[in-house]
Amino acid sequence: MISCKAIKVTFNAGTASEKQALRGVDLEIPQGEFVTVIGSNGAGKSTLLNTIAGDIRASSGKLMFDAWDVTRVSAAGRTRDVARVFQDPLAGTCGNMTVEENMALAYGRGRRGGFKPALNDDLRDLFRDQLKRLNLGLENRLSAEMGLLSGGQRQSISLLMAALQPSKILLLDEHTAALDPKTAALVMDITDQIVEEKQLTVMMVTHSMRQALDHGSRTIMMHEGKVMFDLSGKERSQYDVKDLLNLFAKARGDNEELDDAKLLLEA
Amino acid sequence: MSLFSFLGTLEIGFIFGLVAIGVYLTFRVLDFPDLTVDGSFTMGAAIAAALIISGVNPYLATICAAIGGAAAGLVTAWLNLRFNILHLLASILTMTALYTINLRIMGKPNLALIMEPTVLSPFAALGIPDMYLKLMFIAVVVILTGLAVAYFLNTQYGMGMRATGANPRMAQANGIVIKEKIYAGLALSNGLVALAGALFAQTNGFADSTMGIGTIVVGLAAVIVGESLSGSRSMLVIIFSCIIGSLLYRLAVSAALNADFMGFTTSDLNLITAVLVGLALIVPQLRREQRARKAAAGGTL
Repeated sequence: MISCKAIKVTFNAGTASEKQALRGVDLEIPQGEFVTVIGSNGAGKSTLLNTIAGDIRASSGKLMFDAWDVTRVSAAGRTRDVARVFQDPLAGTCGNMTVEENMALAYGRGRRGGFKPALNDDLRDLFRDQLKRLNLGLENRLSAEMGLLSGGQRQSISLLMAALQPSKILLLDEHTAALDPKTAALVMDITDQIVEEKQLTVMMVTHSMRQALDHGSRTIMMHEGKVMFDLSGKERSQYDVKDLLNLFAKARGDNEELDDAKLLLEA
Repeated sequence: MSLFSFLGTLEIGFIFGLVAIGVYLTFRVLDFPDLTVDGSFTMGAAIAAALIISGVNPYLATICAAIGGAAAGLVTAWLNLRFNILHLLASILTMTALYTINLRIMGKPNLALIMEPTVLSPFAALGIPDMYLKLMFIAVVVILTGLAVAYFLNTQYGMGMRATGANPRMAQANGIVIKEKIYAGLALSNGLVALAGALFAQTNGFADSTMGIGTIVVGLAAVIVGESLSGSRSMLVIIFSCIIGSLLYRLAVSAALNADFMGFTTSDLNLITAVLVGLALIVPQLRREQRARKAAAGGTL
């Protein structure tokens, strides 16, 4: 269970460019839940995700991983519990290292790196088995340089890598946004498959309302640093993109934001 | 080229192979251009020479030299990581400070080691002629060190160091403490360079306060020459390419100096070095451009 209690994040506090990115977020993500997060630009989606990851420290409030208070724990200190896939396919892997070396790095997530060889034949077998599931023929390219693979291939491997070790939460930061539609669909399929199989707890930030409703079991919408609404269960299954837009406009109580909402629909 | 000077060239080539490995660790593995090596090479020679002259066992003196170099690397890393000083500038600061520190260690601008015991002394009883013995000893030390570094870069710890340089964000997301790896990498790199300095002082019989000038260029030259030889991603191949690059570089310089018709003298060394390194950098770029032009021409057909 990941729980955020009244989390606030303020950038450049006390200066003219002060920005309150999160204005008190309360959110509980029980184990095994797949939450999708939507919201317009600057709504605080990424800030929330980065706060959970530890890249950004909360200015106030409390963040708990089960009974562990991680509010003041560094990003590196949290990696045993946090797995991530970034938006940029190049960001999640090392381009000048081989596929197996990248996977070995992810396999060591949350463990202290020792002076034993990072790779051995058992691990290679494990990696090969994992890569087979992608059906991209990558199981034969373990020693290929990561930089030679396409963005979609790299993103798919990033997903596998994130799931190599158990985590309390998997953070997906618009991980299909930089891919072409066909590859994006493929990567989403793989995401669902892995999440299902490993019963992962997931938080996925997305710009696409369609994607937010089609995947996962719960959808939250953020606006101006707060959770504006939180849909799950039967209620959510009856929602369509249009309903989301209406809900969004109603909750906002003005028409000005509709342009913004339209942008979301198109994305 | 006489046999004697050929063996001497190989010997120096091997010693600078250590420098090349050190430079590879910072420039390529950590992506941290580190000029500290100009100072830490001299520092290794200075510490080894000063300790040996004061009666310390040459092996212990050599180990102390490597530790001294590692400490210099830590200072550069600290200036960069703690105070956000640009890596290049941080290393220039350390290098500048080391010039004075090295003079202090030696007490005067140069120390002769002609009649002193060295790491080679225990082998004198074998009866092998000095010039072969030196080369064999150095080659064994450098090859063993190369094997150890290649092994290290393939361990979990070493792979974390490579990820730190290649993609810090990804490294961090996988639980790698980036600062720790940079400290460790700079210490290791400068330790190796200081070891090279200590060996150089003992095989050549002196330590001099200016001997480190240009170490970085020579190390970089060896790395680049080595890289242009192999396209492999294997750490073992890459590390040994650095050593071979250093040997080839030395042979090229020596050939240029020995070619009478060219009329070079030893004082032309720096120009030759710069031209060789320049060529090693320019040729691959020209080739890339040529290939790109060909590809573009092919595309319009």
